[in-house]
Amino acid sequence: MKLFPVLIGSLSLALAACNPSVPESSAKGEPEPSTAKTFTIGMSQCNLGEPWRAQMNKDVEAAAKEHPNLEVIFKDAQNDSLKQRGHVEEFVQQKVDLLIISPKEAQPLTEPVAKAMEAGIPVIVLDRALLGDKFTCFIGADNVKIGEAAGKWLATQLEPGAKIVELKGLMTSIPAGDRHNGFVQGLGDAPVEIAFDADMKWLEPNARKEMESALARLPKIDAVYAHNDPGAHGAYLAAKAAGREKEMIFVGIDALPHEGVAYVEQGILSATFQYPTGGKEAIETALEILAGETVPKKMVLGSRIFTKENARAGGEPIG
Amino acid sequence: MNAIPLRRFLATPAFKALLALLLVLLFGLVFHGDGAFFKLGTHRDALRQISVYGLLACGLTLTVISGGIDLAVGSVLALVAVFFSLASLHWGWSPVLAIPAALGVGAACGALSGTLTSWGRFQPFIATLAVMVIARGLAKTVSGGEKVSTAVQGPDGTMRYVEVPPVFRAIDSRVLGENLAVVSLILLLCLLITWLLLARHRWGRELYAIGGNEEAARLSGVPVGRAKLAAYVASGLFAAVAGICQAAQEQQGDPEAGAGYELTAIAIVVIGGTSLMGGRGGVGLTLIGMLTVGYLEKILSINSVPESTRLILTGVIVALAVLAQRSRR
Repeated sequence: MKLFPVLIGSLSLALAACNPSVPESSAKGEPEPSTAKTFTIGMSQCNLGEPWRAQMNKDVEAAAKEHPNLEVIFKDAQNDSLKQRGHVEEFVQQKVDLLIISPKEAQPLTEPVAKAMEAGIPVIVLDRALLGDKFTCFIGADNVKIGEAAGKWLATQLEPGAKIVELKGLMTSIPAGDRHNGFVQGLGDAPVEIAFDADMKWLEPNARKEMESALARLPKIDAVYAHNDPGAHGAYLAAKAAGREKEMIFVGIDALPHEGVAYVEQGILSATFQYPTGGKEAIETALEILAGETVPKKMVLGSRIFTKENARAGGEPIG
Repeated sequence: MNAIPLRRFLATPAFKALLALLLVLLFGLVFHGDGAFFKLGTHRDALRQISVYGLLACGLTLTVISGGIDLAVGSVLALVAVFFSLASLHWGWSPVLAIPAALGVGAACGALSGTLTSWGRFQPFIATLAVMVIARGLAKTVSGGEKVSTAVQGPDGTMRYVEVPPVFRAIDSRVLGENLAVVSLILLLCLLITWLLLARHRWGRELYAIGGNEEAARLSGVPVGRAKLAAYVASGLFAAVAGICQAAQEQQGDPEAGAGYELTAIAIVVIGGTSLMGGRGGVGLTLIGMLTVGYLEKILSINSVPESTRLILTGVIVALAVLAQRSRR
């Protein structure tokens, strides 16, 4: 079943390899070493079990495919810091030309990454930060800003006195805290109320359970804000089972093509806010680093809002 | 005349299990979440939410009574949920074909556990641990690591949406004037089947005998290997039913679904009073354990108790329930 995309992928890769990519470099007026030489990039992913992280790898892979001189080796640490540390050390021994890492957590991975830097391997850190400054470039999105955008947007959609249910991610995790704080900031002085909140630990079945409790407690709910799209979908299923899904709107975060964007297109969610993976940007930055250019130490990715109107067109950037 | 049966009842595991349940219900009467506890819908939802765990616990009751354990149930649930979603959503199979095939997948996983345990002489913990990992890996492989949902990606990358099939809708609907979820009905049916097998069938008595003393059972002519194999196959079948229910309720097949569910299911069995040493217990106890865990979760949820407190309270209740079981046998 998965054979077809793979076939097409390898076919296009083969085609791309046949195609001399000289025009690109000549357009810049100088011979670019990166097109002549093949580079190996090590990509250390902390947990491929999360769909968002699977998407990150896909984005890296798709972006790398555009450049036949790049070869990316993927490793998945399955949510284990020590395993990921082992992967970083393997990449160093293997002498990859560049390392991209999306670390599970800062403390245990800061030193291994610093050692890679000492070994002369430039490192791009994706999504989660490390301690100190021993890396080449950090690329990530700002969850506070995304939460804020969701709050602002929801404030414009709701009548005064509206009641909101907030389904939080794992509240001990930083993204959930940021998405909550940003949301509260975004709502600002809007005359609306978060009437029920619960920790659904990022999981859809939990979101459905918590939403059922919210439905039992509140005679009227105007909006559901979930910290991820599966959470919003779970809430929708609960409301639908209670015959109350028409009374409220559902907003989620992440906007993965298979998940949030698909839900918006189906009319299940009213909006979802993209939490970009940075996969494409990581490859672009990698090319710059490999070409010897200097890159900024920190890059903050912009987000996009997807609604029924703009979902097919790829959403709209938020301010 | 009456006093002796009563006293005897007070000493049964069933009464002790009921005590824990009553304690939890009392909790709900006090902390009713603005009256949410007094609404019928809350109880219907509590029963629906515990159903998937309860189905796993049915299978676990069988394997635990035989002196074993089945750690694979959560992963088998995921594998079946993924398979059933692929068949129903992506391949367009009719439920007449998809449901038996999904049950077959679960039974095959159970058969593997059972074969390793019965004839491979693996300890059940190890055998089912292996199957747990294998089933999770298979779930991730056949799904390509993604949730199998109504959004089907074509070879050219474009997305098309399929309707949620009627069988999903049917399983996730309610009967009796909207007062009972179909998944709860499926659970009750499975509980009944388990009870009939354990209490009224020769095979059930064999399982008790094996759990009590395997060597003695063997010497008295019980087909130990076959009976144990059947227990794991049944456990796989119940996990498959749970997987079908999970997929229908989520409207997708999530390869990560059911992670950690085996622990909740084991807790249900133990809180009910079925001994992890085997040979003692029953599915009626499992039902009580199920209600205890289900109501505890629901009551904590309607009061929007923070996660950290929930973990502590759940642990305390589990410990108390087991303590109550042990006191003065």
